[in-house]
Amino acid sequence: MSGVVQGGWEFVAGAYIVTAAILSAYATSVFLRYRTEQRRAAAEAEREARK
Amino acid sequence: MRQSPTGPKVLVALGVALLLAGSWWGLTKAPGEVYMGEVQRIMYVHVPTAWNAMLALSFAFVCALCFLLTNSWKWDSRLEAAMEMGVVLSLLLCIQGSIWAKPTWGVWWDWDPRLTTTAVMVFAFGGILALRAFVDDPARRAVWSAVACIVAFVDVPIVYFSVKWWNSLHQAQSTPQTVSSAFHLPLRVNAFGILFLWTGLVALRSRVASLRLRNELGPPLPDSKPAVTGAAPIAGGAS
Repeated sequence: MSGVVQGGWEFVAGAYIVTAAILSAYATSVFLRYRTEQRRAAAEAEREARK
Repeated sequence: MRQSPTGPKVLVALGVALLLAGSWWGLTKAPGEVYMGEVQRIMYVHVPTAWNAMLALSFAFVCALCFLLTNSWKWDSRLEAAMEMGVVLSLLLCIQGSIWAKPTWGVWWDWDPRLTTTAVMVFAFGGILALRAFVDDPARRAVWSAVACIVAFVDVPIVYFSVKWWNSLHQAQSTPQTVSSAFHLPLRVNAFGILFLWTGLVALRSRVASLRLRNELGPPLPDSKPAVTGAAPIAGGAS
């Protein structure tokens, strides 16, 4: 026992992969929700204009 | 009025670029730590995530105060966006911390003061987001979530000071004086990367909230009083 953590690259890789996955998933969900809301707003505006 | 999402997109792109550069530097150029070895490289994403989670929730607190003081819908949209971002970052923080804890502490989780108060923070703000989803009246939802956010924010400084106030397994806050200068660059680059990323995402997410609110209220938007009996007056339209 040296008191020094040996290896551990699998934990490092895990932490970076989880970080990339969660941030990417959240960013994608925000962009998709923005696009959906924009389309709905445009459709509403078009419907209002036809009235 | 339709706003261009160019600004938020630039912030997100800048954030991603900085995060990639900082992570590359932290994984390949920065040296390992004397006792923790390679595992310490988790610090380059864990610590910036912690700073930015607290910053995002502090911004949510400011939005809650501004909403209660001004009754303006735009602060409610920003509050929703900032709380959601703060919860995502806090959850990510707990997962990164668990991955770091296993090889250094020997356990994935410990009910130590820092970890417990952070878990309380995630559940408190997550609970407010759940509350928002269950309240149909926009005015009541805005007031209740602003008040709840202010109450929940009490836990944020407790999380920060928990390692000083109590005997914690978690290490105390690092400062530039206590961290080797070789670790500064990736830490700071990633901190700014996450900062730009979340500010861009919060800007975009608050637009989503505004568009939803606009749809809920229906045109024309109320200038002074919402059409809800007994609800608090809200000034300004959803921007």
